Amino acid sequence: MSTNRRQLLLGAAAASLAAASPAAAAEPSDADQLERLLGLERRLQAAYEAALARDAVDPELGALLLGHEREHVRGLEQALGRRRPRATAPPPKVGIDFASRPRFARSVLALERETVAAYQEVLTGFRNDRLLQPLGSIMACGAQHEVALRQVLGDDLL
Amino acid sequence: MRSRLTRRGALGGAAALALASCGGGDPPPTGQPRAGSGAGLLNSLVALEHAGIAAWGAIGEVLRGDARRYAGVIREREQAHAARIADLVRRLGGTPPQARSDADYAQLFPRMHSEADALHFARDLEERLVRAYLDALRLLPDPEQRRATAEIAADEAEDLAVVHALAGGPAAPQAFVTGTA
Repeated sequence: MSTNRRQLLLGAAAASLAAASPAAAAEPSDADQLERLLGLERRLQAAYEAALARDAVDPELGALLLGHEREHVRGLEQALGRRRPRATAPPPKVGIDFASRPRFARSVLALERETVAAYQEVLTGFRNDRLLQPLGSIMACGAQHEVALRQVLGDDLL
Repeated sequence: MRSRLTRRGALGGAAALALASCGGGDPPPTGQPRAGSGAGLLNSLVALEHAGIAAWGAIGEVLRGDARRYAGVIREREQAHAARIADLVRRLGGTPPQARSDADYAQLFPRMHSEADALHFARDLEERLVRAYLDALRLLPDPEQRRATAEIAADEAEDLAVVHALAGGPAAPQAFVTGTA
């Protein structure tokens, strides 16, 4: 499925998400869950941007992974019904080590792992069925980022 | 070169057909879980995993060195997935499908004459597995079932990334991994 079609699906699902967002129960709403994922994706985006600026990542790999994170942020914004990204404070880079390429890879790998785990938790209880596959496809990309980073580190890939 | 690409394209198509028949042609469950419980879909995933286990065995026979080692690791992961999904079926009161013999599966797989052929088949296999688990996310009613399929979908995406890397490409080539590349 092309990226454009995926973006369309995310956008189309936003209408029903907006209608369903007033949560009747104490559990977090779908919109709350998407905001949580968006925060994590923004952290990853900021991490790769900073790493590229500081030469803490191979430029080709960094640009590829950053491009993915930007698409994930855009997709989640669309799922939340936003036509353009909301202006936000820069996400914190706490826990990201830019001292060298291996140290950055190690620390961003931990953030990628945390993000994939968050998607798995969200997918378990998410109510809007139309967003499950698009969210799953972003989660799957995050899992592949983990492999790419292990490759950089010379670790076992799995 | 052009004729080789065409042949490899055909190999991929044959692989997809073979795997589809492996997953879809198994008998229905003999247990009696209630309608809408997700047991039917889970059983189709078990059948697909059985085919995947056999496929990775065949792929590993063609690969060498580190690639062969990864084929063994991925095969073990598929065995764990099959066991986990089969357990979900049993909890619903159903009976998961048994694996066929390796020989039964082997006649459905494409002939692999080189490591490139094997990695091409492996890519098609993992794409199909990713797609199956992402589809299941939308269709399974129970949170525990969804949790299992989400976690396994991530595993399959990792396996696909390893195949990409072994083939010499980027491990994570796409922003949205749908299993339909």
